[in-house]
Amino acid sequence: METNNSFSIQRLMLLCKQSLIIYKKPIGITLAGFSAIIFIALILAQSAANFRNWDNNGDSTATFIFLFLQFGFIYTCLSFPAFRSKEKSMVYLMLPASVSEKFTFELLTRIVLYIVLMPLLFWLVANIEGIIVHSFIPELANYKFSFRDGFLAIVKNGKFEFWALILTIQGILFVFIAPFTGASHFSKSPLLKTVFTFLSIIAGYGFFVFLLVEGLGLEHIHSMNNRVLFMNNTDSALVFLGILSTLINLSLLSIAFFKLKEKEA
Amino acid sequence: MIQIKDLHFGYPRQQALFNGLSVHLEAGSITGLLGKNGAGKTSLLKLLTGLLHPQSGDLSVLNHNPRKREVTMLNDVFLVPEEFYFPPISINDYQKAYAPFYPSFDHAMLDRINTEFELRPDNNLQRLSHGQKKKFLIAFALSTRCRLLVLDEPTNGLDIPSKSLFRKILAGSLNEDQLVVISTHQVKDVENLIDKIIMLDKGKVIFQQTIAEISQKVCFITGTSNDVEGAIYSEAVPGGYRLMMPNGHAETEVDIELLFNAITNGKKIG
Repeated sequence: METNNSFSIQRLMLLCKQSLIIYKKPIGITLAGFSAIIFIALILAQSAANFRNWDNNGDSTATFIFLFLQFGFIYTCLSFPAFRSKEKSMVYLMLPASVSEKFTFELLTRIVLYIVLMPLLFWLVANIEGIIVHSFIPELANYKFSFRDGFLAIVKNGKFEFWALILTIQGILFVFIAPFTGASHFSKSPLLKTVFTFLSIIAGYGFFVFLLVEGLGLEHIHSMNNRVLFMNNTDSALVFLGILSTLINLSLLSIAFFKLKEKEA
Repeated sequence: MIQIKDLHFGYPRQQALFNGLSVHLEAGSITGLLGKNGAGKTSLLKLLTGLLHPQSGDLSVLNHNPRKREVTMLNDVFLVPEEFYFPPISINDYQKAYAPFYPSFDHAMLDRINTEFELRPDNNLQRLSHGQKKKFLIAFALSTRCRLLVLDEPTNGLDIPSKSLFRKILAGSLNEDQLVVISTHQVKDVENLIDKIIMLDKGKVIFQQTIAEISQKVCFITGTSNDVEGAIYSEAVPGGYRLMMPNGHAETEVDIELLFNAITNGKKIG
């Protein structure tokens, strides 16, 4: 039988099976750890709101978004665990699976699976926590959590425009894709190095803009002729930022792929 | 099976390691890659397996460019590195996790070799000693039935009985279509096992011959100081001298250590 060198679903399934066999304990510990942190974070947030003032739609959703991004950033920083040591790298790179399969597996397990599972886990823990806390502290009246109610509460004052939605999604994805790429690039301390790299880029960009605006006096351009800049209203700014953020995320994923392809041990 | 032609390689900010290296290896042999520390043995093995990329030159392994790390090549190449990592799982789980990636994996062979090495399926890999881990990795490598097995210092960390068991198992587990490349600086450990010798020094192949060819050209005997005159190379040993003589008589077993010292001291055997 001819072997497909590019992509095979069977080999992708083998990678999943292998990962489950090797990481079954860490997966269990991580899920238990995430659940415990969600549980404690909700109790602390509810007690800060004196329980009776807790709004289970807006407040719980805000807690979810905060934890979702924090956990996601840390979890995706741990992508490509084989690259943390030379010995593990050798085993990983010599494993008979293509670069596309290894990349897809990491992308699925570190970003896609997280985005699907984390809300489910939060929903489960938030409802269990609500029932438990309510049984001890009846003042917590709003204890049933639902994402539908939560997001309706967020968007009730305005509708989501298409490009605003794209920008929001890409912004959230950036929080996961940036550390994912960092983990493919940096062997040691990927979390710190990724944060440092992106902060340096943002600071460098900020400094560049400052030099342009202050040094070249560009702050007057808009007042002189508002057609010089193509972003002359909120809608066009959203379109520009939506496209830019999509391109940034796609570029970061491409960098991660080629880093994996060219990796040496 | 392995074609290296005019290969150039060096690590960043270091002197070039290989400058025009050329090697040709065919299936059906156990080749010993010998050299002093820092001669580039491990780097060459990593180049063969695609873990390092050459700067220039032709490199072909099983008709593949190792740099591409194509699945059809990785299915047929197994590397036993000197330093390795095992996840904290049992031998049985490791077999379930990794064996399916190798189409020709021989489960019965793994069971047999594990038994010979006194390893049990329920042994946790991280709780084994370094030597036991190495024995398991060698057993797994042989069981993959890969056409190219690359072993980097395989006897490091093995006790004396395990070294002879390793030689016995390796010699008895190979097919005609397989090639084994063993890198070692402990040449005594691979004596009576290898059938071709490649010696590396300063990034170049300084010697490349089969054991049969060597036996036809030279013989290795123990003699007295009177015999040193006619020897190609000699070394004092307790009770006399080990001598590498031009072969005018019967074939003797190749003393790889003496041969290695002779070649690295600039002696030629034709």
